[in-house]
This record gives sequence, C-alpha cells and structure tokens, in this order.
Amino acid sequence: MAICTFLPELLCKFPAIDDGTIRMARKSVDDGFKGFVRSYGDAIDAVVQPLQWFLNYLERAFVSSPWILVLIIMIAIVYVGSRHVKITIGTALSMLAIGLVGLWNDTMVTLAMVTVCTLISIVIGIPIGILMARSDRVQAFVNPILDVMQTMPSFVYLIPVVMIFGIGKVPGLIAVVIYAVPPMIRLTNLGIRLVDKEVLEAADAFGSSAWQKLKNVQMPLALPTIMAGINQTIMMSLAMVVVASMIGVGGLGKNVLQAIANQFFTVGFLNGFALVGIAIIFDRTSQAFGRRLQKHSEVIHG
Amino acid sequence: MKKLLASTFLAVGLYAVAGAAQAAECGEVSIAEMNWASAGVAAHVDKFILENGYGCTVELVTGDTMPTFASMNEKAQPDMAPELWVNAVRTPLDAAIKEGRLIQAAPLLSEGGVEGWWIPKFLADAHPEIKTVQDALKHPDLFPAPEDASKGAIHNCPSGWNCQVSTANLFKALDAEKAGFELVDTGSAAGLDGSIANAFEKKTGWLGYYWAPTAILGKYEMTRLSFGVDHDKKEWDACSAVPDCPNPKVNSYPVSDVYTVVTKSFAEKAGVAMDYIKVRKWDNGTVNKVLAWMDQNQGTNEDAAKHFLQEFPEMWTQWVSPEVAEKVKAAL
Repeated sequence: MAICTFLPELLCKFPAIDDGTIRMARKSVDDGFKGFVRSYGDAIDAVVQPLQWFLNYLERAFVSSPWILVLIIMIAIVYVGSRHVKITIGTALSMLAIGLVGLWNDTMVTLAMVTVCTLISIVIGIPIGILMARSDRVQAFVNPILDVMQTMPSFVYLIPVVMIFGIGKVPGLIAVVIYAVPPMIRLTNLGIRLVDKEVLEAADAFGSSAWQKLKNVQMPLALPTIMAGINQTIMMSLAMVVVASMIGVGGLGKNVLQAIANQFFTVGFLNGFALVGIAIIFDRTSQAFGRRLQKHSEVIHG
Repeated sequence: MKKLLASTFLAVGLYAVAGAAQAAECGEVSIAEMNWASAGVAAHVDKFILENGYGCTVELVTGDTMPTFASMNEKAQPDMAPELWVNAVRTPLDAAIKEGRLIQAAPLLSEGGVEGWWIPKFLADAHPEIKTVQDALKHPDLFPAPEDASKGAIHNCPSGWNCQVSTANLFKALDAEKAGFELVDTGSAAGLDGSIANAFEKKTGWLGYYWAPTAILGKYEMTRLSFGVDHDKKEWDACSAVPDCPNPKVNSYPVSDVYTVVTKSFAEKAGVAMDYIKVRKWDNGTVNKVLAWMDQNQGTNEDAAKHFLQEFPEMWTQWVSPEVAEKVKAAL
C-alpha cells in the first residue's frame, strides 16, 4: 500500500486490458462456439451415433448377462493373459467381494466404460507414439499438446464437450480418453527411441525395410515401455471415471459422487475400493501378460 | 533508500493499526461461497457490505450444500452460509439448532426457492396442449433421451442432492417408465446445466428437474409444468422425499425454505453483522435479473454483486442504517 505512494501507478497496478474489452472477447468466443454447436451439432451427433450404439450394447452385454457367465469369462481372460494362479484366484475373490456388497451392476457399467476407453486410447496412442518416435519435428509439435491434455483441469473441457455432445457415455468417453491417452503416446515414443542404436544398425546391415525394422526390432524391444504405457492408461481411465460421472456416466463413479455430496463415508470407501479392485486386476493381468511377451529379454518392468 | 524503507514500514504499521481498530467491532468472518450463481452473488454482496459498511475482514470459502453444512456443524467453520436450502439438511439442522451449535438467521429469498419439472418455453409455445407433467408424458418423442433417442427422458437432479430422491419417486408415481420415458442421471450441476444448454442450442425438447432463482432460467426461458395436484406436505415428508419409498403418489414440490445459517460463535462475536443478516432478503425477480445480467456480461460473482449494489440501492439501503449505507456507497 504505502510503497505505492512513491512509485508511478503503472508499476504498482498491472496495466491489464480493461474489463469491457475482455468481456467482449469472452462473449464473442462464447457466441462463436454456440454458433458452431448450432450449425454442426446434428452432424456431429450423426458421426458419434455408432460409438453410442456400441457403448450401449457393450454396457448391456456386461450388465444383463448372468453374473456367473461374466465372472467365468473374466477369470478365463485373466488366466489366459497372466498364466498365474495367484492373480486368477485374487480376481475371483475380489469380484465375489464386489458382488457381495451389492456393487456388481455398477462395477459392470464401469468395466464396460474403462474397457472401451482403454482400447480407444491404445488404438489412438500407439500410432501417434510411433510417428513421434520417427520424427523430431512431430515430437516437438505433439509434446506441448500432450502437456495441455494432461494438465488442463478436466472440468474446463467438460463444458464444451457437454455443449456439443450432450450428457452421457460418449462425452464421458471423450473426457476420459483426453486424459488417459497421453501416457500411452509418451511411453510408446520413449520405448522406440530407447532401442539400442547398434541393434538397429545390425538390422540395417541385414537389409530390413523400415516396416520390418519397426515390426520385428523396435516394437518387440520397446514392449516393456509400451506395456507400462498401457498400464498407465488403464489406471488413468479408472481415475477419470469419477469425473466422467459428473456428465452422466453411470457406474461406480456416480456412487462416489453421491457419497461425496452426502458425506457418506462408508459408501464412498466401498465404491472406491471396488475401483481399486478392478484397477489391480487390470494391472496385474496386463503386467503378467507383458512379461510373458518378453520372455526373450531380461528387461522386466514393474 | 533507508529513508524510503523506514517510511514504508511506518506507513504499513500505521495502516495495520488503523485496520485493527476498524475490525475490532466485527473481526474476521468466513462466508461460504456456494457453487451456484445466486448463492455466490449473495456471498459477495455480504462480503462487500460487511467489509465496507461494518469494517469486518471477510474471507470467502468455496462450498457446496452438504460439505459446507457438515463443516459448519462439526467444526463451526465457515461462520456463515448466506444461501442454504435447508430442506436438504432439515433433520441435522434442527438437531444443531436445538443443541445451540447453529442459528437459522433469516430467509434470504423472500419468496423461497421454486422447484419443479420444466420444459423449454419454445416447446411450450409450439405445443400449447402441454400444461402439466402428465401431458408431457404423453409425448416421449418430444423429449428424446441423450443416449437412446427412441425413449423420452426426464433429467434428474445432480447425484446426491435431495431432489434426486423426490424426482425418482415422482417418476415412479407417474408411471413414466410405462409412458416410454427413462430417468436420466445428469451426475452434477454442470451436467444438468449442460444438458439444458445443449437442448436449447440444438432446439430439441428437454424435460427435467430445475429450480429458481438460477442463471440458467435467466438465460434460457423455461416453463414450469404443474403436477395437477397441490403440495401435500404430509405425503411429501413421509414418502416423496424418502429414498426407496415403496408406493409414492403424485405430489407437487414444496416451496423451498432458503435461509442464512450462521454458527453460534459468529452470532456472539459479530453482533453488528447479525443485525444486518436478520433483515436482508431479496426476491426471485431481482435475483433472476441480476443473474441474467451476469450471464449476458460474462461477469463474475463479484461483478454481479457490485452491479446489484449499484442498480438496486432502494432495496439494500433498507437493510442497513443510513451511515452504513453511506460507507458502502462511498466504496462502490
């Protein structure tokens, strides 16, 4: 306060653009965005409709199949993936515990959502990661975008996403993928870049094409890192499911939100632990699967 | 340089002493700034008047009905919630008042809050035959569900709010599922608002729970549908507002009591401010006007509070003594 009496005002009070101008700018951006929604809303809806059907279909499949069937399929997948009796038994026990406390249906809804989010993140993430690894220029361009995706508070892009897509599973999926895809891209890129130069020279010496090099040398050697990326993507999808509930995605996240709003301590923890349970099942299975894929190498992640 | 520093310290010291003398009669007050617009503006109006008119030091704490209430009840922090919809916390609040922890000061909204099921006005104009909720339920095609356009949708209120229970019970009572409707969970206030904005931008139908005074209703014109019956308080308390009530009947929403609630310690330490809080109240029309201005001008809660103090002096000067009013006007 007092020091400002000796200084010119310019140095004391930051010369901000005046409120009126900022307000005008905000208004015009908002109106522009609304205009965009008005003119392209229906077209965008038509494009994402198949995704909506697929999500609805998958959720119905998970929820309305008899629980015993879902459990058997899940245990089979876990066993085939991990070939690990302990993990399989753990999966069976945690799923039974989830069912016992009455969260089976909610867990199925969340499981369907996370499965789709993870698959989409992998499908989008791996090609972009490969492109980044092949070119420094692409890497320099994509990296800042990934930084924004990971640090921008999710509530900020929930607003436009809801404006465009309404509420429900599709906008939820988009919000989750925005958050969950960066680690997939980053770790794919890193894994390929870390492949030993000498190995690549050897591959060149044997006359491999670029595609052969990628498929037979770089990808297999980058696999531990890529598996870590898939793992991170799954974890982030699960973490984001609660936020996605804020725009009408059902499942465990919805219960967590209700528990938060009502200060239901126990309900919150039960649903939270159900999420943790799914996360650990996904994690251990994918890790064990990754290790089996890399029997040839000594690099073992996690 | 030394001289400059010395005089700075002296000035800062004097300023602090003066400030302390001013704040002695009121002290530090923490006010909950709830996360919906009308309550946020009310919090800023209180802050401005208490700081400039009564010399309090006000700190705003972001909040939401349940967490803020729990914190006031258990920890006596924050000191005051300007706009608390007490129906949501009726039982624990009554207990807290009885045990002398909290004080229900005065109604903030003179007419109370209005809740109900609303449809966009453009739809009501296009279909004048829709006057009641029952009429709307005859047209599931007008209100397509966000995830499955073959069904109609009734948008429920955000997860964990009290209205979620009553809306679900009314949905059941009206047999809306048979009429081809589903109850859509919007998840959060942002989800609910977004679904309305989305419907208006695309000019599709929308049917669901909403309440006034709110910025959304200032921005998008909506029509409230009647339930065709009067509010039956006994039925409401016994069943409509009770989770998993086995056999709900059709009922109208009550007019919500919206009160300022303060902690006991605040009432003791800030007597001057209590006098102000006991008399201040505004009506939904004014609040909707202020919120509509806020929305048009993309203003913050603070901007809207200042706008209210500038534009509606005949209202707020009634709440305070002429001297205080002068101080507040001087600060604007």
